[in-house]
Amino acid sequence: MGDFLQYVELNSFLHRLDPRTKFVFFIIMSVLTSFVKSGVALLFLFLVFLAIWLIGRIGKYMLVLANKVKVLLLFIFLLWLVLGAFTINEGPTIYRAAFTIFSNHYVFSLDWFDFYKGAVYALRIFLMISAFYTVILTTNFSQIILGLQSWRVPYAVAFGVGLVFQIIPMIVQEFATIMEAQKSRGLEVDKCSAFAKMKNYVIISLPLLFRVLSKGHAISLAMHYYKLNFKVKRTSYKMIKATYSDALFASVTVIATVLTIILQINYYIQI
Amino acid sequence: MSFKIENVSYKYSADTPQILKNINMEIREAEVTAIVGPSGCGKSTLVSILSGVIPTLMNKGELSGSFQAGEEVMISVVSQTPENQLFGYGVEDALAFGVENMGLASDEIHERVESVLDLLHIQHLRKRAVSTLSGGQRQAVCIASVLAMRPNLVIMDEPVSSLDPQGKHLIQSVLNQLRATGQTTVIVDNNLDWFSGIVDHVVGIDNGEVVFDGSRDEFFAKFDVQHQLGVIIPQEVEIYRELSKRIKGLQPFSTLDEAYDALHDRFEKPEAAAALDPSEEHAENVLEVTDLSKSFQDGFQALNHIDAGFEKGKIISILGQNGSGKTTLVKHLNGLYRPTEGRVAYLGAETSDKSVAEISRDIILVFQHPEHMLFEENVYQELTFCARAQGVPFSEEEALSVLEKYDLLKDKEELPVNLSMGKKHLLTILSVLFSSANVIILDEPTLGMDLHLRNQLEGIIKHLKDKGKTVILISHEIPLVFKLSDELLVLDHASKLEEGSVQQLADNEALFEKIHIDLPPVVRLSKKLGFKTLACDAERFADAIAAGIKNDGFTGGASNG
Repeated sequence: MGDFLQYVELNSFLHRLDPRTKFVFFIIMSVLTSFVKSGVALLFLFLVFLAIWLIGRIGKYMLVLANKVKVLLLFIFLLWLVLGAFTINEGPTIYRAAFTIFSNHYVFSLDWFDFYKGAVYALRIFLMISAFYTVILTTNFSQIILGLQSWRVPYAVAFGVGLVFQIIPMIVQEFATIMEAQKSRGLEVDKCSAFAKMKNYVIISLPLLFRVLSKGHAISLAMHYYKLNFKVKRTSYKMIKATYSDALFASVTVIATVLTIILQINYYIQI
Repeated sequence: MSFKIENVSYKYSADTPQILKNINMEIREAEVTAIVGPSGCGKSTLVSILSGVIPTLMNKGELSGSFQAGEEVMISVVSQTPENQLFGYGVEDALAFGVENMGLASDEIHERVESVLDLLHIQHLRKRAVSTLSGGQRQAVCIASVLAMRPNLVIMDEPVSSLDPQGKHLIQSVLNQLRATGQTTVIVDNNLDWFSGIVDHVVGIDNGEVVFDGSRDEFFAKFDVQHQLGVIIPQEVEIYRELSKRIKGLQPFSTLDEAYDALHDRFEKPEAAAALDPSEEHAENVLEVTDLSKSFQDGFQALNHIDAGFEKGKIISILGQNGSGKTTLVKHLNGLYRPTEGRVAYLGAETSDKSVAEISRDIILVFQHPEHMLFEENVYQELTFCARAQGVPFSEEEALSVLEKYDLLKDKEELPVNLSMGKKHLLTILSVLFSSANVIILDEPTLGMDLHLRNQLEGIIKHLKDKGKTVILISHEIPLVFKLSDELLVLDHASKLEEGSVQQLADNEALFEKIHIDLPPVVRLSKKLGFKTLACDAERFADAIAAGIKNDGFTGGASNG
């Protein structure tokens, strides 16, 4: 839980890249996965991602992500499987039956193609999330701010985005501690019904709210102590500069994009 | 430059009481000024005015009087929680943040970052991520980030309240460096113990008014003022205070060496030793851990084959630096963590098949930060939460009498989070009185408490012991640990170093050197004076000295305060 949704301190090829290169990767991959619906193309893209994760030494963190989103992915897979079962597709069929409800005739047709469709949609969503997560795992919030600033994003916006990524791990940690504290004083959240469990989670949200408000207050005071004024032009201690590695990574991104598009055109099956 | 505060009064709104009443004081150039006073006396409001938070960010209140701080004057604050103050992933990012806001040229920023890294001797931290620093290192970086802005005045608000002894030492050395450079500094902290060596000037505030303004030595001589303000003073001064009640004409002292010089030739050692004979009776173990090990998913070994027993009706303190495994151990005791190896047994029965809530009926853990625990709509409900959650019967009369005893009756209908930090903490501890648990674990219970609240806490712990309950204490307040504890369990780097009575372990100086914890002054002084049985608090020490004092006409009490 502690490492989820936050930067991981490593000195890998991916970590050393200019944040802007990783932002470009995220944008291209988000657009690509939004329109690519070919299983072959998505599988190719997945292999590219896999290579990037292994080179970036973040494979085990991606497994954690996969574990966290497995229920979502399963839901997407089953949703498209069930919707597909009410459409008659070409190709091999596993089970087909006709039935009538209130004088309406339906055909239930579970085909191998429905499984393909479910897998394609689940893989698309996973790749979309992974593209974002790859950037988050390898870019700390100070680099995010620097990268956004260099793209002429107003400092107030860049600082706000960076602050969100600074605060998220704090809130995750606070929630875990509050949960432990409440259990320790007798609040049952382990051996109880689902309803009682839900009610107790609502109870826990109150101290979390107070803690978040109190942190927000402390952060606004700190901004005052450090004379942060968004109307005044800031200077910068660190500069970011693209290197040969960035050019290499950008080339890989472009080549992977082109190949994915080619595979999409050649192997697309209407779904 | 000096700062003059003249006739400053403040209230948060027209219909609320006056928080500050006609405050007059001076913060002198190149001096360290301590602002002390009990919880809720107005210290934090004064900091807000000095730092410009009032009226810049909070402009609804009524502020009068004058405080000379123009636009060109830079005043900055170091808060008690550096994680809420540091902006930046890496140490260098955090150090540069304030200077970048000032719009300085890049080479000037680099020069300032280098100079604070050198000044505070933290060059070795520059490439580290802030999140990987210890509490003390984080606070040192926070101080450095403020100093990089070259402030005319630095205000530190309880800067060591959540640090372990090593963290406190680091901040003490940082403050010594600052003092040597002539930095004008204000430290707001009711615990004068840790920074008494560097403070020049003390301002005491009570109920919104300045009740003391003088030098450190003048403050140490005013016992009644110390008591009124609930200030925690160095134990050496406490020893003098206790002795001066019993011995007439005693030369004042505030250091260990001065105390030794004042006492060593007036004291008959054998009688003193005879006067102290604490019982070493052993009771049955109510809680036992056997061969307990814990490794986390990332491979970090937090506990390494720990064997320990916790006796019925005893106060047992767990000592060790941050990261030694103290909190991990107690989280195994109440079931929050499950061991990788070994077992935890309560009254001989393993606890592994019980939920944390079920275990809490026998073993309850009170967390360090009360805000993690408080969620009821009023103080009364919060007090009785444990009883209701565990189905323990209680009467309203009983609950109200507890509130009255601890001065919380008037806050009965108040939202608990609105109480002062010390009172919030007291409330979470009081709620344990209504629980069925026989083992009570308190993690840093003194956080945010002034001396008055701390005295109440001591009373509660002793009351629990008298009721036959076992109290397990984790605290960085070493004098308090020695004063209250019967037994000590010492951890270092996930392993148990020693377990035994306070008397046994206090003799083992190498043990405390190894864990970088100083023995309390009263223990060191009693060793130096040759006590066979060491005194662990100032009162018992003073009794022993008074009993062993040579008949030279000095007994009979002093007139200070």
